[in-house]
Amino acid sequence: MKSKLRLRCRLSEDLVLGRGKILIFCLGLILSLNFNLGPLLAESPSLAERVIEHRLANGLTVLMVERHQTPVVSINITFAVGGINEQVGQTGLAHLYEHMAFKGTRVIGTTNYEKEKPILDELALVGTELDQRQREAAAKSGGATAEERAVIESLQNRLLELQTQAAQYVVGNEMALLYQRHGGVGLNASTGKDVTRYMISLPSNRLPLWATIESDRMADPVLREFYKERGVVMEERRLRNDDSPNGLLFETFTSTAFRAHGYGVPTIGWGSDILSLTPADTEAFFRTHYGPNRATIALVGDINPKETIALIEQTFGKIPPAPLPPPLVTVEPEQRGERRIEVEFDAEPAIVIGYHKPGLGHPDDDVFDVIDAVLSDGLTSRLHQTLVREKRLAASVGSDANHPGVRAPNLFILTAAPLAPRTTAEVEAALYEEIERLKREPVSPQELEKVLNNLDADLVRGLRSNSGLASQLSLYQAVAGDWRYILTSRDKVAAVTAGDVQRVAKQYFTKSNRTVAVLVKKGTDNTVAANPVGEVRP
Amino acid sequence: MRQVRGHRSGWRSLRHVVRALGMPAILLASVVVAYSADPTVSDPRTMTFKPVEFSPPEPERVVLDNGMVLYLLEDHELPLVTITATMRTGSWLDPADKIGLAAMTGAVMRTGGGGGLSAEQVDAELEQFAVDVGIGIGRQSGSASLDVLSKDVKRGLEIFAGLLRAPAFDPARVELARLQAIEGIRRRQDNPGSIVGREFAKMLYGADHPSARESSLDSVKRITRDDLVAFHRNTIHPNGMILGVTGDFNKDEMVASLRKAFGEWKKGMVSELKIPDVPEAELSRPVVRFVGKDTSQTHLRVGHLSIKENDPDYVALAIANDILGGSSFRSRLFNDVRTKRGLAYSVGSRLNAGMHDQGVWLMRAETKLTSTQEVIERFVANIERMRAEPVTDAELAEAKEAYVNSFVFSFSSSSAIVSRLVELEYDGLPKDFLQQLRAKVVQLTKADVLAAAKKHLRPGQLKIVAVGSGEALPKALATFGDVKEIKLSPEG
Repeated sequence: MKSKLRLRCRLSEDLVLGRGKILIFCLGLILSLNFNLGPLLAESPSLAERVIEHRLANGLTVLMVERHQTPVVSINITFAVGGINEQVGQTGLAHLYEHMAFKGTRVIGTTNYEKEKPILDELALVGTELDQRQREAAAKSGGATAEERAVIESLQNRLLELQTQAAQYVVGNEMALLYQRHGGVGLNASTGKDVTRYMISLPSNRLPLWATIESDRMADPVLREFYKERGVVMEERRLRNDDSPNGLLFETFTSTAFRAHGYGVPTIGWGSDILSLTPADTEAFFRTHYGPNRATIALVGDINPKETIALIEQTFGKIPPAPLPPPLVTVEPEQRGERRIEVEFDAEPAIVIGYHKPGLGHPDDDVFDVIDAVLSDGLTSRLHQTLVREKRLAASVGSDANHPGVRAPNLFILTAAPLAPRTTAEVEAALYEEIERLKREPVSPQELEKVLNNLDADLVRGLRSNSGLASQLSLYQAVAGDWRYILTSRDKVAAVTAGDVQRVAKQYFTKSNRTVAVLVKKGTDNTVAANPVGEVRP
Repeated sequence: MRQVRGHRSGWRSLRHVVRALGMPAILLASVVVAYSADPTVSDPRTMTFKPVEFSPPEPERVVLDNGMVLYLLEDHELPLVTITATMRTGSWLDPADKIGLAAMTGAVMRTGGGGGLSAEQVDAELEQFAVDVGIGIGRQSGSASLDVLSKDVKRGLEIFAGLLRAPAFDPARVELARLQAIEGIRRRQDNPGSIVGREFAKMLYGADHPSARESSLDSVKRITRDDLVAFHRNTIHPNGMILGVTGDFNKDEMVASLRKAFGEWKKGMVSELKIPDVPEAELSRPVVRFVGKDTSQTHLRVGHLSIKENDPDYVALAIANDILGGSSFRSRLFNDVRTKRGLAYSVGSRLNAGMHDQGVWLMRAETKLTSTQEVIERFVANIERMRAEPVTDAELAEAKEAYVNSFVFSFSSSSAIVSRLVELEYDGLPKDFLQQLRAKVVQLTKADVLAAAKKHLRPGQLKIVAVGSGEALPKALATFGDVKEIKLSPEG
């Protein structure tokens, strides 16, 4: 659970131009929480008692925590839908919809929806036909005929015309503009394998504005500027996956580890799929998955719960529930042999190793959280101590107990960047030695105590931020069906024994159950050349 | 303007396959709030809300006899205590042949033991009791922090003070820090975003300037343990240090504890933080450079050096930049390049103005190779427009409202309140500097914004740095000036 809850802070590359004062360290900043702190919170009422829960008739879940220090509120709307709900050929749809959700509604983002609507309808038809013709042309061995090229060109021209016509009614980014004008900060959204989330923090008296905007977008979004936004998503894919060594390594690793289950598909989608997504697909995805019965709203801050419930009933309460979506049926078959893969990139080497394991709710899941902490949490963790400090094999090491999602059976992963001239092969061997040690000898009582102490402290730290607390409450409501999972999970971690760790390590950390991906430097043999520091050539 | 500092969202963590939309970075401000809107009005465009009074708590400022400054603010909601130390040191003090010394000193102050404890003892004790300690030295300051459950604050403070006052610089940890620094240098060219940011800084300030220079394999290899010991001894003094203390403690008891931990520490000669200006001739020279790397996008930075935070034009320029590209969704660049044209995921402009060196104003985007030229053209066209015509009434009103209405988030926690005061004092600015900025924002006119744009956005002096696929990239850049290549070594 630790790794499920934590967001590690990473040094942003943008700091290069940053001011000198920006903190340049970040040793395990962890965001998480717990409501079951017993004696730690002797002075304040138990936080479990501070969570107020309300369920609307349409199935919408509302979680609230009052904090009145500052007149602000952070709100997180989490939908139990993500990349895992996509169909073959439509990967990236959950994420594209998340982008489209910022384009407005019949009220926001337009000067005249009635006039805009027919243009958008035609635009969707033309764009869809254009995509199809272009795919066909690209697939033909002799290339498209002159006639086919002419059809494509006329469709392109029509699309441009329609985009120009539609643009006259668009009020660009109006939703964001409204929030910003009213002092909103942190407007953002994210899409994962299991959940899609919409965040904002506002001065607390702006809640009526928020409820009006968000209930409107939960009911009636309008997918305007579709093809432009699809282009934006393609740029996002290039930025995060194609041009990033780690992005490409993880995409390749994960899709190798999963052969059947949707966790193997990158959340952003495959490039060719993104370029084939249609407004109709996107609309259908919204209708299927964005009902209020799939949503949790967590509000933390300076709120009056009674007034907040009344406001939410008045606004979100009108939205009808959606029928249950199609069930997820695919189960990853047992892996029967090690899988190894290389990714070539113009970058220094790195390695990822993953083992299949059960997901949330399985009793062994909590054992992996303990293993995760023992292996890589802090300077005294086993991997840091042996691979980084003692053997000086790796510049950095890490682990994660829930890759790439939490709900379904997932992967326990180990990551490392070798310290030149040591190789990924040497690092890999050393990682296996640590894995074998987990099987061979029990973890010490002191290590288990350290895991729990850190978990408890991090849980208190997670309460400091309104947005962090809102995020945790809504996340666990969405993925576990109950935010109290946070409480029960902490107790399960506390109950994990040294024997559990040994048993789980033996059962899951086997050669045939693992996938290994190695980032290798393109065009070299991993050899290191010695050259002077770069200089400008005139 | 002053923004919330801190980590740019954990979503960037490669381990979390989560896609965030848009860039963070929002203006901060303070005003406040009352309940409630007229419930009969349901058009969000016409909703209005009253501002209400909100008086953030005032931290107490105490100065110890040795000159150490303390800001304290009690907050008993959670059983935690946080102490930060901001130190008048930085890599601006690195000797020219030992660039990297300050950073390595900060790293090993944290990892090398101290206060009579070995490195292993410090690590073990801190982590067993879940105490977070960080120490680092950046370009223009050093920072340290202690974050501890209030039940363990006494011991936490002892260890923290030991590391700051008497770090042991364990030789094995020094060597480890050196190896990691070397590996960091070797990996500098892995990500195009890292390359473009660093090369752009060097184009603006010059490769040897304290605001842009970088360590090298040679410089790091030259640094000895003795250098670290001396750098700590010579640059870190109680009279060059400001502590920010927040959380679950009693103020008088905390001051007594801090006096005990730091009071005997002798004053020293604190270095004056002075960064040289770049000569005018360099400032005005337009530059177009590219770095060839096998990428699918061109990673672009376009801009030039700019004013400091205390410049009389700062507020007007900050608002001009906000409208141009600083305000994410609301800005012209976002609407033009991303929303209307679909050419980039991340696009915008920034004005990074501090007090100690010349500020940087820049525009940035990543776009596929074939749209590189169009994006730069849009950059240029948008700054020309900022200079040619006043911003609209609506744009200025929106920028002002956003600033004023979000001002409350500058006071959103005890630690935010205290760290702001620490920063302002470190920079030699008055403690009501933010309130002064806000007052100026409220007064600002379209003419002020236009004048600032005309004076401070200089299309004839743009430095353009692009990282991308080598063959076609120089051609895409050719219309913007004389294109030259920056050759990188494979080893950073």
